[in-house]
Amino acid sequence: MDTPHKPHFIRPCTFIWLALMLLTGSTYAIGEAGLGGLAIMLIVLGTAALKVQMVANYFMGLRRTRWLWRGIVLGWLLLVTGLITIAYLTTVK
Amino acid sequence: MINNTSTSHEIHATPPGDLAIWFFIFAELLAFGVFFVAYAFARAHNVALFDESQQHLNRTSGAINTLVLITSSYFMVRAVAAIKQGLSRECARWIAAAIGMGGVFLVIKLFEFHAKFSAGISLSTNTFYMFYLSLTIFHFMHVILGMVILAAVMLKARGGGYSAENHTGVETGASYWHMVDLLWIILFPLVYVIH
Repeated sequence: MDTPHKPHFIRPCTFIWLALMLLTGSTYAIGEAGLGGLAIMLIVLGTAALKVQMVANYFMGLRRTRWLWRGIVLGWLLLVTGLITIAYLTTVK
Repeated sequence: MINNTSTSHEIHATPPGDLAIWFFIFAELLAFGVFFVAYAFARAHNVALFDESQQHLNRTSGAINTLVLITSSYFMVRAVAAIKQGLSRECARWIAAAIGMGGVFLVIKLFEFHAKFSAGISLSTNTFYMFYLSLTIFHFMHVILGMVILAAVMLKARGGGYSAENHTGVETGASYWHMVDLLWIILFPLVYVIH
């Protein structure tokens, strides 16, 4: 019996998995170094937002769906990270 | 995770899996989103307390758990890929591996909770710990629910209940599991790293 070809998304998802691991390492390193401040906060939150987009678009497969579905996740992400940033900015003297 | 009949460039009207799970996922995103924003604004009112309390968290276990959930999520990608080739047994094995990683997450988290509770820390210790414990315990419960869902999907896959043509259940379980991963990806830097 013929086995169907491997789905085309395995290879990009494997690269995404590796990228997610590396980005997690960078966030951990920043935490261990005790770095703080607005720029660091933006880098760490931006990294998290990028990782969320990677999971949503590749692992969850939203990049192959209508814009509506990707837009809901992206809108949620921008709203949450935007409000977190605003909350942080209120503490910056 | 594209429907089995697709080509690599086809755009689908709905996301992978049962559409109902996506409404559930969006509701969960909303609930956690409110929680994350509430944490950020509560911190803004007491930065010193939050920054001092955060230093007592085990950042290493938080980072390891992030890697564990990301890998578990990747295993579910492989499970979906396997069933799209009609490989039920391989699909069940990838799901079992994903569940196993979920178990590792729970064990690490339990050690973390035990350390905090042993130190006399509770929900009423201060505002930071109220958020830390409720957010992580709420997420912990979602991991358990996800593992139950994946276990049901795994048993059906093992019994040949899915095929290359019919595998919506596998995609549905995978979508929920990816959401659990996605939420932790924000929770970890927000609570353990940003100060």
